[in-house]
Amino acid sequence: MRFLVCLKQVPDSTVRVKVGSDGRSIATDGITWSISPYDEYAIELALERKDADPSTVVSVVAVGAARTKDALRQALAMGCDDATLVVAEGDLAGLDVAKALAAVVREMKPDVVLCGKQASDDDQGLVGPALAEALGWPHVGMLTKLVPAGSCVEMWREVEGGHEVWNATPPVVGLVHKSEKEPRYPSLPGIMKAKKKEIPEKDLASLGVTPGAPRLEILAMEPPPQRGQGRIFKLDGDAKGVAEQIAKALHEEAKVL
Amino acid sequence: MKILVVAERKDGELRRVSSEIAAKAQGFGDVEVVAVKGDRYLPMAWSAAVAEKARGADLVLVGATLGGRDLGARAAAKLGWAYAADCTDVTPADGAVEVRRPMYAGKIRAVVKVPLPAVVSVRAGAWTLPASAPAPGVNEIAAAASDERLRYGRFEATASGGSRVSLAEARAVVSAGRGLKGPENWKLVEELADALGAATGASRAVTDAGWRPNEEQVGQTGKTVTPDLYVALGISGAIQHLAGMTSSKVIVAVNKDPDADIFKVADYGVVGDLFEFVPAFTEAVKKVKGSG
Repeated sequence: MRFLVCLKQVPDSTVRVKVGSDGRSIATDGITWSISPYDEYAIELALERKDADPSTVVSVVAVGAARTKDALRQALAMGCDDATLVVAEGDLAGLDVAKALAAVVREMKPDVVLCGKQASDDDQGLVGPALAEALGWPHVGMLTKLVPAGSCVEMWREVEGGHEVWNATPPVVGLVHKSEKEPRYPSLPGIMKAKKKEIPEKDLASLGVTPGAPRLEILAMEPPPQRGQGRIFKLDGDAKGVAEQIAKALHEEAKVL
Repeated sequence: MKILVVAERKDGELRRVSSEIAAKAQGFGDVEVVAVKGDRYLPMAWSAAVAEKARGADLVLVGATLGGRDLGARAAAKLGWAYAADCTDVTPADGAVEVRRPMYAGKIRAVVKVPLPAVVSVRAGAWTLPASAPAPGVNEIAAAASDERLRYGRFEATASGGSRVSLAEARAVVSAGRGLKGPENWKLVEELADALGAATGASRAVTDAGWRPNEEQVGQTGKTVTPDLYVALGISGAIQHLAGMTSSKVIVAVNKDPDADIFKVADYGVVGDLFEFVPAFTEAVKKVKGSG
């Protein structure tokens, strides 16, 4: 089975994001860039299939600036077989990213395309469903598990109270929410091998994509409002007293009880 | 402006978020509220039905639920329209709407101009449902049957899953972290949640350890919640967790460590042993609510 995992490079989730001087973008100097967390789960799900059946091929693709190669190399070091970068400097509308990815999918002909359910920078969750739409393929969202079953793939979708298990006949798109195991760290031999691998580049024109989708315009960005200093209570052996004070305050001051 | 509200049902009842959106949208222009017939969400068929119905409208509004976000994104792609996810406010503005939405896992709030026509998903609780709001009239629309390439198999219930209010829509949430020491102590969390009428949540440490199902994880790579009351028990307050709950109206935190980051966002912080405090707090809540 052939997998293609689409990934995006985003500010690392441990980074404290700051608003830039223009007030409508984030300050990127000195930032650490990483694979978006949900895309890492997608890589892990695909690599687990490869662990189970070594004939499985796991490719990765990203649309983004030249620095995105670092994220692709990280994916190779984790154990992916090959990587492709679609070079696009600057911000591209989600639907245009989906079109570019669809063109790559048509060339590579994977059985299963996996995307993280959303990128942890814009948090839109548009590209995955839009890619499925551009391809005319079905998709399953909130994917947490993937099990081959004959000519089908069982796709586990997390919903309230459990999982819906869908039987997909490839090709299909999965939007990954989580993997059961944490995404693996690259091994040292993996890192050495990844260093030597070529990462071919494509551009939008060669894929026949002319950006033209409707664009969102960010007018302003701000950090969430700082919360005021709260009241701190020490138990000092009087749990009952403190509990009653807080319950009373929630009822009378905050009016949420 | 012509607005199409795509409502969602759960167990036959309109979801609260759908009612919130239908009520607020009345102020934007001509509103039609529709719901897709059928119990189980089918991405291709449902988004096709919504896209078909949406032609001629200026704005499609859906709830930013798991299904709603998925449906909205694919319908927007089918229509070639602009799309904005998980918005906390929408304001009409001359050929566009201005939306407020979190980005960077809640570490940033953005004001975004979305050109019309557009599909926008709106977060539960973003708009307060007026007590006087009449139940919206809902027109049913039909979707094609399931695609042969994607067939529904079965439901696998989470062992602990269940009857509680949905985390994303709950007005109160009780969450616990590693400070709870083990899954055998979860009943403390549930007793408090029952007293408050709250949903239960967990830190990533707790879901990763397998004490609780993934769907209860609050924070980055989990759920973002904005209840009126959030109670954090034994949660240190990693930046990823804070991103998922810091917009709650009132936060109560209990932790042994006086330097825990969770106290920086707490309105009421309790420094001490949660095993002493929580049972007492559960009793105190029952007393105040007059149910004990």
